[in-house]
Amino acid sequence: MSRGLAELIAEQTVIVCAGAGGVGKTSVACALALAAARRGRRVLAVTIDPSRRLAEALGVARHSPEPIRLSAATLAAVGVAPPGTLDAWMLDPQQVSDNVVHRFAKTPADADRLLNNRMYRNITAMVAGMQEYTAVEALYEFVTEGRYDLVVLDTPPSRNALHFLDAPSRITGFLDGRVFRFFLPSLDGDGVAKRVATKITEKVMDIAFGQETRVELMSFFALFSAILHRLSHNAAEMQAFFRRPEVSFLIVTSPAREALDEAAFFEHRARQELRLPLSGFVLNRSLAFGERLFPDDAYFADSQVPESARAKLRALAAREAEQVADHQQVLANLAARVDGDCFAQAAPYLEEGVSDIPSLARLADALFAGDRR
Amino acid sequence: MLNKRVLLVTGKGGVGRTTVAAGLALATARCGRRTLLAEIGSPEGGSSPLAQLFGREQFTSELSELRVRLRACHLWAPTGQALFLRSAMPGGALLGAAVRSQALQTFMRAAPSLLEMGWFFHLLTLIRAEHEEGGPEHEVIVLDLPATGHTLALTSLPKLLHRLIRHGPIVKALAEGEAYLNDPRYTAAWVVTLPETMPVSETFDLIDGLESTAVPVGGIIANRIPVDPFTAPERAALAAHLNGAPVLGAVALQRIERSLQAQERLRNSARLVLHIPEVAETGPELMRTVANRLQMQMQMQGDAT
Repeated sequence: MSRGLAELIAEQTVIVCAGAGGVGKTSVACALALAAARRGRRVLAVTIDPSRRLAEALGVARHSPEPIRLSAATLAAVGVAPPGTLDAWMLDPQQVSDNVVHRFAKTPADADRLLNNRMYRNITAMVAGMQEYTAVEALYEFVTEGRYDLVVLDTPPSRNALHFLDAPSRITGFLDGRVFRFFLPSLDGDGVAKRVATKITEKVMDIAFGQETRVELMSFFALFSAILHRLSHNAAEMQAFFRRPEVSFLIVTSPAREALDEAAFFEHRARQELRLPLSGFVLNRSLAFGERLFPDDAYFADSQVPESARAKLRALAAREAEQVADHQQVLANLAARVDGDCFAQAAPYLEEGVSDIPSLARLADALFAGDRR
Repeated sequence: MLNKRVLLVTGKGGVGRTTVAAGLALATARCGRRTLLAEIGSPEGGSSPLAQLFGREQFTSELSELRVRLRACHLWAPTGQALFLRSAMPGGALLGAAVRSQALQTFMRAAPSLLEMGWFFHLLTLIRAEHEEGGPEHEVIVLDLPATGHTLALTSLPKLLHRLIRHGPIVKALAEGEAYLNDPRYTAAWVVTLPETMPVSETFDLIDGLESTAVPVGGIIANRIPVDPFTAPERAALAAHLNGAPVLGAVALQRIERSLQAQERLRNSARLVLHIPEVAETGPELMRTVANRLQMQMQMQGDAT
C-alpha cells in the first residue's frame, strides 16, 4: 500500500521537492510545510530562489542568518495552532559556506585568511557544486539539530537539483582534480617532471590571468583544500542521510510537455543513477482536479447572461473538457509509472497565483481535500 | 530587432522561451539577415529542446546549417577557453604546453566562472567572425538564455572577473565583450513572459536584474495570449453568474480576465511589447507560427521607424 502525501507530511523528517522551473515547485513545497504545521509539527521550509512576493509573504529576506518564524497570528489565521510552527528560510550560500569554513578550518587563523581571500569572497561562483553543497550542509544541520520535526526543501530547477543531490560527490570530485597536485607545495619535494609541469602551468596562468591572480588562486587552493578534505568525509555521511527512510523526494510537475519531460529525466536519474527514495509525483496546475459541470441551458436558467455569451462559454467549456480529460490521462500515466511504494497526486491551478499565505493555505486545502472529506 | 547583432532571449521556466527564441531566429533569417541561433551547451550533455525543434538531438560547438541564412551551435565552454588561450599565448611551445596541460584543463572545468568565461569567449569569437564579402559572418545572433543564475552570471561576468583579475589578456577580452553586450546599438535582451499575474511580476524583476548588469533590454514578448471571444459586458455578466462555481469554461474565462489585466500592466510598463497569441500547435509547427507573428510585428516596427 503506497503512502500518500498525508502520510508523508505526518511521518517524514525531510521532504525534497524537485522539478522543472515554472511548475510551482516552491508553492507546493511551502503548502506542504503549512499542511504539516497544521498537523502540529514543527516545520521549516527552505527555499533557494522564491519569487520576491512569496519571499515577502513568508517574511524571509536574503542574507538572513537564521530561519524566520511566521507569527502566531499569521499562522492561526490559516489554521496552524501550537505545537505546530512554521519557519521559513532562504538559503544564503555565502553564509553557509562561511559557517563551513569556520567549522572545518584547521585553525582560526586559517579560517580568517581564507575568509579574507579575494578568491574566496567569490567562492560560490568559484567552486563547482559549492552552492549545492552548502544547501545539503544546511539541511543536514537543521535535521540533526532536532529543532524541527520536518524540513521541506525546495530545490533549484531540476538539472541543477541533480547537482544538488550530487553535491557531496561533486565536491569530492573537485578534490580529486589534479589541479591540487600542481598548485599545492608538496612536502617531500617534487620530481623534475612535476616541477617542469608546474612551472609551465604557472607561466600559462601568469600570462592568461596575471601573476597577482595566480598567486592568490594558489593561496586559495592551499587553504581550501584542507577544508575540502574534511568535507569529503562528511559527504559520505550526507549521501547516506539522503537515502534514509525518513527522507522523501517528490517530483513536482505541470501538465506541460516540457515539464513532464524534465520530470521523466529527473525520475530516471534519481532512481537509476542516484538511487534516491522517490515518493511520488505532484501534478500541479492541473485540471485533473474536482468535478465540473457543463454550462448547459439548465445551468443558465433564470439568468441575465445573454445567449451570445452562453454560446461562447460553451465553446470554451468543450475545449476545457478535453483538457480535463488530457490532464487526467497525464495523471494516470504518472500513476502507472510509479510502483507500489509511490503515488501520483494532482493539485489545482490557483487562478490568483500563490504569492501570499492565504493562497498557500488554499493550495494546502486543495492538496489535502481528500483526507478531510 | 533586425538591426541588433545580439538578441538575448530570456524568461523564467515554462513560458515558452525556447520556442520563441527559435521562432525569432527563423524570422530574422526570413527577413534576409544571416542568423545564428545559439544556446548554452550544458556540461552534462543530454538532448536539447531547442535542437529538437529542428529535428536534431543536440547542437554542437560546430556551426550547423539549418535553413537558408540560418545556422545553429551551442556555446561550449572548453571551445571558448581554448580559443582564449590561443589568443592569449604568444604561440609556439608554451601554447602547446598550455593546451596539453591537464592541470589547466581541470582548473578550467572546476571553476564555474571560467566555465562562463568559456561561453563568453566563444560568443565573442562568433560576434567577431567576418563574412568573406565583408561585414559580419552572422548579422544576428539569437541566444536562448534560461533565466537562471547562468543568464545573470554570463551578463555580469565581466564585472565579477574584473574583481578577481585585474590585468592581462582576460581583462582585454572581457572589456571587448562587455562593449558589445552593454551597448544598446548592438545588443538587446528580450524577456519572454506569459500574460499571467506572477510571470509578469517576475518579468519586471528579471528586467531589473538585467539592467543592473547593464544589459540593454529590448522589450517583452508576451507569449500564449488566450483568444478573448467575449465583449466586456458578456465577461461581466458571465463572471457574475458563475461566481466561482466549478463549471467547465470558468477556468478559461478567469484566464482571459487575468490575461487582460496582465497585458494592461505590460502596456503601463512603457516597454516595447510583442504579442504571440495562443494556438493549438506544438513543436516545429508552433515555432513557425511564432516566427510568422514575430516577423509581422518586426516588419510593422520597421515600417514605423
